[in-house]
This record gives sequence, C-alpha cells and structure tokens, in this order.
Amino acid sequence: MAQAQQFESPNRLLRAVASEDFTRLQSHLEPVDLLNQQTLIKPNVRTEHLYFVESGIASITAESANGRVEVGMIGREGLVGATPVLLGSDRVPHDHFVQMAGTALRIRAEVVSTAVDESPTLRKLLLRYVQTEMVQVRQTAFINATLNIEARLARWLLMCHDRVDGDELLLKHEFLSMMLGVQRSGVTLAMQQLVGARRIRAKRGRITVLDREGLEEVADGGYGAPEAEYARLIEGA
Amino acid sequence: MPHYFFNLRYGPGSDRLAVDPEGDELASVEEAHQHALQSVRGLIAGPPSHAVRDWFVCTFEITDEAGRHVMTVPFTEIVPDEDDED
Repeated sequence: MAQAQQFESPNRLLRAVASEDFTRLQSHLEPVDLLNQQTLIKPNVRTEHLYFVESGIASITAESANGRVEVGMIGREGLVGATPVLLGSDRVPHDHFVQMAGTALRIRAEVVSTAVDESPTLRKLLLRYVQTEMVQVRQTAFINATLNIEARLARWLLMCHDRVDGDELLLKHEFLSMMLGVQRSGVTLAMQQLVGARRIRAKRGRITVLDREGLEEVADGGYGAPEAEYARLIEGA
Repeated sequence: MPHYFFNLRYGPGSDRLAVDPEGDELASVEEAHQHALQSVRGLIAGPPSHAVRDWFVCTFEITDEAGRHVMTVPFTEIVPDEDDED
C-alpha cells in the first residue's frame, strides 16, 4: 500500500505537522472511506482510532429522548478523536459519526499517544488543535444562548462550506433540524429568509451558497472567531 | 401511510408562507394535527426567528400529497382555555 504523503493530504492539520513528526506517523496512516452515517467513535467505548479527515464531514452529537443535536463539527481541518486521546481519556460520552461522506487517514489511538509522548513538538501542535475544538464548542454555546434561527443556520452553512469543495451542499431540512436543534419548520422558515435575501439558493435538498459575506452578516458574530483562531494556532496566520 | 406537509404561515401573502418541502408520514389527520401541535411547542420553546415577531399569529396549513388543504392549526391552540382545569 502506498504511504500517505504529507503535502498531498488535503488535511490542514496534517500539513502543519513538522516533517520529523510526520515521519513518526506516516507508516501508521491508513486511508479509509467515510461512509454516510458511519459511526467513527462510539460513546462510552474505548476509542480505537483517530481520523485525519481529508474530505467529508464528521459530527459530534449529544443524544436525548428528544433526538440528537450536533455539538461539534470536524472536517478536513481536523482530527476526529484528538480531544480524548490528547487529554488522557480513553473514551468519550458523545457519538462521532459521518454526516457527509468522504475519506480519511485513520491511525490507532495508542500510536498517537506514544508519538506525543516521544515528541514535544507533535504534542504541542495537537494540543493547539484541541484548543481550536474547544473554541468552536464555546462559540456554539454562545450561539445557542443568543442567536436566532437564521444566524444559526447561516453559521452552520458557512462551517459546512469551509469543509467542502465548491458551493453546493446536499442537505435535507430534517437533517438540518437535528444538527441545529431547531424544529424542521423553523429551518424551512430560516431557509426562506436566506433565499429571499439571495444569500443562498435552495432546490430539492440542494443548497448553493451564493453570497458568503452576506451569510457572515446574517450569522451576526456567530461565525469567524473559531476559524481565525484555527488559522492563527495551526497555520501561523 | 399518508404524507402530510406542514406549511408555516407567518403573515399574509405567498411570501409569508414557509412551504414544507419534505413532509412527514403520519397515520391519520388526527396524528397530523398532534404533530403540528408538537412542532408549535418546539418552535415557541426554541430560538426566535428574524421573520416572526410573534409566534401566536402563525398557523400551520397542513396539506396532503395532492396539495389539498387538510387542516389549519393556529399556534394559539396550544394555549389552554381559561376554564380548563388542567
């Protein structure tokens, strides 16, 4: 099997790894498909693998009797499973599943644990990445406490748009309802406002981003801070 | 099972109707009615919308697969009548 090459990987975090550190990981990186709805990490079960996402999107969700709600989103900027493993836990209470199919480089959790024990530079980078996830989660808490449906939807669409090629997103209202923790008719209502303002086009489950800046305006401060923090901490922007 | 669509009316005119593109499968008109009331409670308990100042002026216009009107459910229906003991 051909080994993964660092600078060919679409994963932004992997590209930021120092080349000596990449060499430690390289032979352990296994290309895998991410299938729609596939579970990557089960709640409360030992985390076996971490995933450097190369395309597609993973969601971290919390579940209750009323259904599940997204509490984290990881795409080609991230490493699914980094948080528990870097912070010394062998499991997490939340489900990690594929919400948009794609590909990833999979690596065993103990390989990452050993590698960060041996390399302070790798530990530092991955901890910085964990910090960016934490900033995203805090931003979500802020948004859930303050912003209206349109702003939440706009922020979520921008986050998805960041993680795909092109301007089209295939998303049903039912799915958005679950992701945002908002009634489906609330999603439909908000979608109509974004279409009316020509920020997006929506036809038969196909959403096209027309105006990113316009969406950022609608997001009302909900989008941007975590993304800038990622660029600063991981890419030295 | 019949498929019902829950179109959200939030003002007069066609631009103030959020047309449900997906709908739900429900066994009967009565189940559709209960489903609408459940959605009303969820909307009122949830975050506000920029487009709606007052949820209580809204209605669900339920239609069937043929696009025929089935039932109108005003959001005020979830408010108990004054003489209701529970």
